[in-house]
Amino acid sequence: MIKKIGFIAVLLVCLSSCTAVREYEKVYINDPDMVLGTKNIDRFETNFHAYREAAVGANGGKTGGGCGCN
Amino acid sequence: MKGFLLILIGFWSGMSVFAQTADSTSTYKKRVLENTEVDILSSYYSQTGDNAAVTGGRGTEELTDFAPSIVVAIPLNADDVLNIDANISAYTSASSSNIDPFDGSGPADPFVSSSGASSGDVWTNLNASYSHSSDDRDKIWSANVSFSNEYDYFSVGFGGSYSRLFNEKNTELSVKANVFLDSWKPIYPIELRPFAEGGNGLANYLFRNYTITGNADYQPQFVEFQNKSRNSYSVGFTFSQILSKKLQAAMELDLVQQDGLLSTPFQRVYFQDVEDSFIENFQLADAIELLPDTRFKIAVGGRLNYYLNEIFVLRGYYRYYTDDWGIRSHTASLEVPIKIAEKFTVYPSYRYYTQTAADYFAGYESHFSTEGFYTSDYDLSDFNANQYGFGVTYTDIFTNFHIWNYGLKSIDLKYNHYARNSNFKADIIAAGFKFILD
Repeated sequence: MIKKIGFIAVLLVCLSSCTAVREYEKVYINDPDMVLGTKNIDRFETNFHAYREAAVGANGGKTGGGCGCN
Repeated sequence: MKGFLLILIGFWSGMSVFAQTADSTSTYKKRVLENTEVDILSSYYSQTGDNAAVTGGRGTEELTDFAPSIVVAIPLNADDVLNIDANISAYTSASSSNIDPFDGSGPADPFVSSSGASSGDVWTNLNASYSHSSDDRDKIWSANVSFSNEYDYFSVGFGGSYSRLFNEKNTELSVKANVFLDSWKPIYPIELRPFAEGGNGLANYLFRNYTITGNADYQPQFVEFQNKSRNSYSVGFTFSQILSKKLQAAMELDLVQQDGLLSTPFQRVYFQDVEDSFIENFQLADAIELLPDTRFKIAVGGRLNYYLNEIFVLRGYYRYYTDDWGIRSHTASLEVPIKIAEKFTVYPSYRYYTQTAADYFAGYESHFSTEGFYTSDYDLSDFNANQYGFGVTYTDIFTNFHIWNYGLKSIDLKYNHYARNSNFKADIIAAGFKFILD
């Protein structure tokens, strides 16, 4: 599994040099809904998942701190 | 281990290659943040279920939580931004109220909440972060510090990150690191406290005031925790890439090492090879949860956003998680923002989550007293969950509505319903208002 993820990461790094979208072509990419992350309002949802589920991380949420025990 | 090395080599080689082609064409220096922004947020959360960890995997999980937040982003100059993020979370919990179920208001019962001091608490949290962007906006440094406190828990955290943009800002590589140094003030189930070192055991007033039924010779397996600290060390990598004019993706990798007191001191365990003792309808603890004092977590996530047309955007997310407690999990979600009018966007979403059980988990009355580690916390059990969400956002880019010198930029409302394949259910509603200083 880890090898596959590593392979994909390396592949993406390599592919990234193939094309470049110019600044003036980024009108769609710059749409607020295209942001590669979560909005501030999603923090509550992310926190409750961290409390109620075993998995954390890789989602922009915190990965430690707090007991999460209620 | 080879996989990690491969990923690190990938990041290193990416940094090296793109460093040679980094943007150097910047002539106009736009401010990173034009004006001070203020986000006022709030949420209300409620949950129900019958597998409370406080009562050994059997009992009410009813909980409500009200959580207001305020986030302020202040531009210090053209390059630097200070973020202050203050949060409060005030909850009432039927399960944690049963740390002491003997409040005298009625027969103690794991499915009935108690009115004791542990029935509610307030968590307060403050985060501050400072970020600096280079003149060409291709390099971003940040540092952060955080504090949080509740009755039985205190946490201090600090960290930093570095981001590098390449390839005409089509590619971004980031690395971040955080440390959290936490400390417990352990609270134990009420019936176990007389069995702590120096306690008077069955001579305690609790057992004089109430009659033990079942096994009257109640002798729990209980030793107080000596190590009361919990430390978390995390490092994370993010690689994001614009793949076309309408498509971009990101991969995230987080590695987390925890050590210290990872058990929750007030979560009971009932052994199947120990005769049961009761006071009223409440089963007395055979022990408290005992988990290893180290845990290593790996989470790998991917995001893929596609601008379908002027109305629809597709936002996909997947995460794989594993740790050395034996848990494996998959998370997948899809959100589809739909621009229904000039100022309104709606956000239907779906999320699926599944996890395997921790090696140390067994349900109510399923553990043996001879086991080295044990917990009946169903958050560490094998389950899957579906979540359905709907949100709406109002955006006014001209900020026509004002309160004092602040213009209203946007309003967000969001609702999510979460249901496990057990009887655990949760609902959360959140609201947010963004203001911008004129």
